[in-house]
Amino acid sequence: MTATPDQGLPTGLAGAGQPAFLSRFRLRGAVWLAVPAVLVLLVALAYPLAIVVLRSFTDPAPGLDNYVWFFQSAVNRAVLQRTFVVAAWVTVVSLICAYPYAYAMTIVGKNLRLALILCVLVPFWLSGVVRTLAWVILLQDSGVINSFLRGVGLPPVKLIRTLPGVVIGMTQVLLPFMILPIYTVMKGIDTRLLQAARSLGAKPWRAFVQIYMPLSLPGVYAGCIIVFILSLGFYITPALLGGPRSILLSSLVQNQVLSLLNWGRGGAMGVVLLVATFVLLAIAAPLMRQKHSATRREA
Amino acid sequence: MKKLARAFALTMTCALALPAFAQDKPVAGEVKEGSLKGKTLTFVSYGGIYQDGQAAALQEFVEKSGATLLNDGPTEIAKLKAQVDSGNVTWDVVDTADLPPYVHCGTLFQKLDFSKLDVSKIPPGQVGECSVPAMNYGVVLMYKNDTYKDNPPKNWQDFFDTEKFPGVRAIDGSGDPTGSLLEQAFKAAGGDPKAMTTDDIEKAIQKLRDLGPDTIYWKTGAESQQLAESGEADMIMMWTGRAMTAVKNGAQYTPVWQDWLVVMDQITIPVGVKDTDASYALINAYLGKRSQEILTEKTSYTPINTDAKPQVDEVTTSFLTSTPERIAQGYQQNIPFWVKNFDLAAEQWSALLSGN
Repeated sequence: MTATPDQGLPTGLAGAGQPAFLSRFRLRGAVWLAVPAVLVLLVALAYPLAIVVLRSFTDPAPGLDNYVWFFQSAVNRAVLQRTFVVAAWVTVVSLICAYPYAYAMTIVGKNLRLALILCVLVPFWLSGVVRTLAWVILLQDSGVINSFLRGVGLPPVKLIRTLPGVVIGMTQVLLPFMILPIYTVMKGIDTRLLQAARSLGAKPWRAFVQIYMPLSLPGVYAGCIIVFILSLGFYITPALLGGPRSILLSSLVQNQVLSLLNWGRGGAMGVVLLVATFVLLAIAAPLMRQKHSATRREA
Repeated sequence: MKKLARAFALTMTCALALPAFAQDKPVAGEVKEGSLKGKTLTFVSYGGIYQDGQAAALQEFVEKSGATLLNDGPTEIAKLKAQVDSGNVTWDVVDTADLPPYVHCGTLFQKLDFSKLDVSKIPPGQVGECSVPAMNYGVVLMYKNDTYKDNPPKNWQDFFDTEKFPGVRAIDGSGDPTGSLLEQAFKAAGGDPKAMTTDDIEKAIQKLRDLGPDTIYWKTGAESQQLAESGEADMIMMWTGRAMTAVKNGAQYTPVWQDWLVVMDQITIPVGVKDTDASYALINAYLGKRSQEILTEKTSYTPINTDAKPQVDEVTTSFLTSTPERIAQGYQQNIPFWVKNFDLAAEQWSALLSGN
């Protein structure tokens, strides 16, 4: 953990030259600061998760039946794959939209920046269902977009109940989770480095690609991971904007748990999704670290 | 003299008690004054104007019996199962979809004691071992007037005939498969629904799959209504309540009443409720003539007391399913078959709805 105990205390108390026992005491005190959060996580996350995992192996009978069922069903395999593909698309599209936006937030004046931040935050205050229903009105065959296309003599496009439609809707919901981490990192980048690069003869474009972009990567990684993981669990948006060919795994879990009362199977599906996510992250994490440190050296 | 008086008093008491005993046979809609004072009952349904209407229908029961009525929802069988499994049932009367009381009869829902309910005014064939109907409605085929003009579809066979009747179909994908629709699909595939076997379920599902990738599976009643009001689909399978609201809002669609699919919603008592008799009293009041009239006036759903004469407008009347003509046109699914094959049908339905 990078957090130090000093961060939780008034600055007057922090500082060098204090007796060793005091800092030890403070360290122990700092651990207590985490207790409420840890308790909440234990009760609201770890305990239910443990039950889900347990049930996936015991309900209705002990053994691996639920997992055998999951992987034997072509429907489950196809939907699992689709879930990851959609999450990847949403991550890519969000990144393409968020990166320039976050950059713009760092270079504009104070008022405009405030307006841009507001644009990012407003969606947080609206329910996802409301926003998704708004997308239904925009995307449907007789909707705003297609009426416009017809009006200017272009052929209508099929948007609602397609995978691109779902990706559009999910991207809009998740965009803030991409913009904010990138912006936070970009804000901390010392722009004098760019000036230095320019003074050493780098063209603006090159200075941006070789200096600025590598420095902004931690924000990009953080945003990508958050958006990707949140995408995997999406339920309402694919249900409303998607057709049968864009249903994600969460809908199948819902069906097993709420309608068929096969809690063991629902649990197994959740565990498969969780493990698959961990595996992907485990593969991606070293790659990111490696690439990141490499670019550091170059920079 | 004293003895005589006592004997007389005893006789009188018996004489007075006799009619009281006779009155113990419940009458739909009636409840004893103050009989549930201090008791709290939780009624669970699907929210929205439907549950508001049910609460209004139960208002008199609340006032007379002295019970406090809490409304909760929406009904989720999984939540009920959790309550029953943990032995802490807080839902006293639960409104459910059609099949669950049959699938979970005796395990999640109590087998009903019909000496405590007056079911004499319920339309025939609607009382189950573990449930009474909550109301009646239907699923109708609504077609878009513009698309079909002089040659409209006349029944579900036309719904499944994409050659003679091209156009986008919208189907109820809000939850469990609708057994009666699958039976109609099987009929369209050339089968006899009455002789349907387990293997035929796949054939019926295939008929739906053959409608093509443009087919819309709506997820909520509101969505189906929105599809009609925006003219997105050419034929829509719709609940009568939503169909009526869409027409009132100006949707240019016409219902096909031949073989409309009969749906009810069920009223049940979960296993393990704290005061079973109080639950019975609530249901018995709910089944009353006046309660059912109020329910229909507030929700436009069809009452399940045959004496009820609700005061509703013309459009609402045209969508009520209790007239002799409508009763003759209705199509009732084979409940025992779908109860027996619930898991299999749900599994294949889920595959259809995930694009496979």
